[in-house]
Amino acid sequence: MRVRFVLPAVLAVAASCGRSTPASGSGAIVVYTAASVAIPIRAALDTFAAHQHVAVQQENGGSLDIARKLTELHEIPDVVVLADYDVFPKLLMPGQTTWYAEFARNRMVLAFTNTSKFASQVDSVNWPQILQRPGVQVGRANPDLDPNGYRTLLTMQLAERYYEQPGLYDKLMKLSPAKNMRPREADLVGVLQAGEFDYIWSYESLARATKLRYVTLPSAIDLGTPADTDLYAQATVKVAGKTPKDTLTIKGEPIVYALSIPTRAPHPAAARAFVSFLLSREGRSLLRANKLDALDTPVIIGRGAPASVRAAVSAP
Amino acid sequence: MEPVARTSFAPRSFAAHRTASILAGLCGSIFLLFLVAPIARLVAGGGTSGVAELFTDAELRGALWLTAVTATVAMAAGALGGTPLAYLLARRAFRGKAVVAAVLDLPLLIPHPVAGIALLLILGRGSAVGRALLHAGIQVAGSPVGIVCAMVFVSAPLYISAAREAFARVDTRYESVARTLGDPAWRAFRRVTLPLSMRGLIAALVVMWARAVSEFGAIVILTYNPKVASVLAYDRFTGFGLTEALPVAAVLSILALVPLIALRALRPDRGAGMDG
Repeated sequence: MRVRFVLPAVLAVAASCGRSTPASGSGAIVVYTAASVAIPIRAALDTFAAHQHVAVQQENGGSLDIARKLTELHEIPDVVVLADYDVFPKLLMPGQTTWYAEFARNRMVLAFTNTSKFASQVDSVNWPQILQRPGVQVGRANPDLDPNGYRTLLTMQLAERYYEQPGLYDKLMKLSPAKNMRPREADLVGVLQAGEFDYIWSYESLARATKLRYVTLPSAIDLGTPADTDLYAQATVKVAGKTPKDTLTIKGEPIVYALSIPTRAPHPAAARAFVSFLLSREGRSLLRANKLDALDTPVIIGRGAPASVRAAVSAP
Repeated sequence: MEPVARTSFAPRSFAAHRTASILAGLCGSIFLLFLVAPIARLVAGGGTSGVAELFTDAELRGALWLTAVTATVAMAAGALGGTPLAYLLARRAFRGKAVVAAVLDLPLLIPHPVAGIALLLILGRGSAVGRALLHAGIQVAGSPVGIVCAMVFVSAPLYISAAREAFARVDTRYESVARTLGDPAWRAFRRVTLPLSMRGLIAALVVMWARAVSEFGAIVILTYNPKVASVLAYDRFTGFGLTEALPVAAVLSILALVPLIALRALRPDRGAGMDG
């Protein structure tokens, strides 16, 4: 009896030791997705999987989190979708990939629920005053870990200029102290819904996908309009750099999503097919149906992008 | 191992049992390696720099201190609230006992971030209990209170089931003898049951404390700042990469060994025969 139980156990342990790649042994294509676009990418992946009869696997996390998985843990997926295009040149090129495609944009909003304080009064104009009323709790993401975290700071800074209210930045910061912080913007949603926060700084895509109500901010401060790039660049924030003791200055930029296929992707052909589908007209309308603002003409940056991906971008 | 050794003297099945022993030993060794190797790798990779950082990194020291204090408070709360419950489950038959026992195991099955949200729904400022607590000046989310709540929720079930086993192993006849000699129930528990089950109870507390120290998912929902060591290790990894995260995780593993060994070494030997 014992022997019969022991053998499979030894084999199982031995098998588990020999694995070094991420959970892709099944032949499924693996897509690492920034948590803020997990839902639209999931929809595109499901449609693609149904068309092509391939298995797909999605892992969601913060953009920097995902980049670290590639650079430090050497877990190489087939496709990487990040909420901040800047992460590609900063962390992943040229080691992990030589190109990336900008394919969608987003904007900062203030999300809330029906039970949030002053939910019936807040709007795009009075939000700075509403947030400052007594007892209002505002949540935000960690600027050292998550692009949404430092974009929140950039939006607050831009708001101070836009509304011509000196000191507004400090006041807004005081409303969401360290205890109201969570690692990423996706972590804030559940806490908001549980009633711990009244408002959270978030992305429009996430607020819509999770069916939250939200305040739209003026385009001059919401980091959502590529035409306002120069205006956004006037805001800068300092976040942690390569070590906790270093600092890195980040300039305001429009929020643009980008994706790429790592050079050492385990299933490059399937990855090319998926990316081509995602960037095609059908893929773009699927993303839009899932509340992600897909760019009409995706932009490829860098060299070495596969021909099929280039063709999908330039197709009418 | 003992039963195998004893029965292996039977001549007919000697070879089979020998094979079984070898295979079991081999399997055990591989398994031990599977459990120990990752920790050894962690300590080898980040141990020295981690210990060095203890002197320079105030945030790391703060996180370790906060972890030790909150886990100990959680353990004490578990012992206080869980011990009577465990005793009741071990000794008394009552209606719905199976349901209570099953419900007590449920927190182990819930994914930890979901457990964090569930705790927020009950203890957060959106709930009646949370509002009452706030009124009394106790903030749960974003404070050490939240950390302790998350720790108790995920680790107390382990303590209760282990403590229940420890009580169940004490022969009821000893208690009956104490009672017939005139001890009231509480005294019989304190002088007979408790000392006889102490080994098992301490082992259960060690498991609970260790589980509390390692908790991340539920804590990060309730209280991200101030940071416990597990949250700091996660932060350092996602924000700064492996070189910054390894020392934190390594020093946590090294320091956690001290109380674990101390508690195991200090446990009294009086109950050895009962649950050895």
